[in-house]
Amino acid sequence: MASTVGIVVVSHSSALAEGLVELAREMAGPAVPIEPAGGRAGGGLGTDADRVRDAIARAGGGGGGVVVLGDLGSSILTVRHLLERRANGHVRLADAPFVEGAVTAAVAASAGAGLDDVVAAAEGARGARKL
Amino acid sequence: MPASSETAVDLPASVDLHARPAADFVRTAMRFDAAIAVAAPAGQADAKSLLSVLALGAKGGSRLVLRAEGADAAEAVDALAGCVAALRD
Repeated sequence: MASTVGIVVVSHSSALAEGLVELAREMAGPAVPIEPAGGRAGGGLGTDADRVRDAIARAGGGGGGVVVLGDLGSSILTVRHLLERRANGHVRLADAPFVEGAVTAAVAASAGAGLDDVVAAAEGARGARKL
Repeated sequence: MPASSETAVDLPASVDLHARPAADFVRTAMRFDAAIAVAAPAGQADAKSLLSVLALGAKGGSRLVLRAEGADAAEAVDALAGCVAALRD
């Protein structure tokens, strides 16, 4: 495999981001970099642009680009602002449900999918029914 | 005319097709170009769609029918049947 796509999950809650990373890593295995960016630097709920930036840098180590998923509202805005300032095609924000999108993206990345396909896998999770 | 292939395989008794086993199954399916469907007691899913496979809720010991269509259908079905038989929780 030439390069692996990394995943970043951005949440208002550090615990939520870390829990989702735990689940996604269990399913995708160790080859996919999956990094959490949750909560404020000083503790508490919120999103922190520096944490997101650091997580993107860590997840980019596989060389295939990074797909970012956010939980709600301002976490999405934080990522959008960040990506507008450092626009390049290698970091993409997926419009996808947080848990299903992250897990689906991580498994697609573990199968060797490229950046476009991993984004599509995450966004394809929007229509999935649970029942 | 595309080749088609079909086989049935039972999940190991102790392995439900959830979480990591489902991911292993889907990852195997993704290696092939063929369109692959998996039928379980509760319904049918695209073998390359993680969420669809998870939604089957297939329990350990249940029978899965694998159907593939495409140039590499036979290889896909063989590989997936092997994957299922080797799954561990």
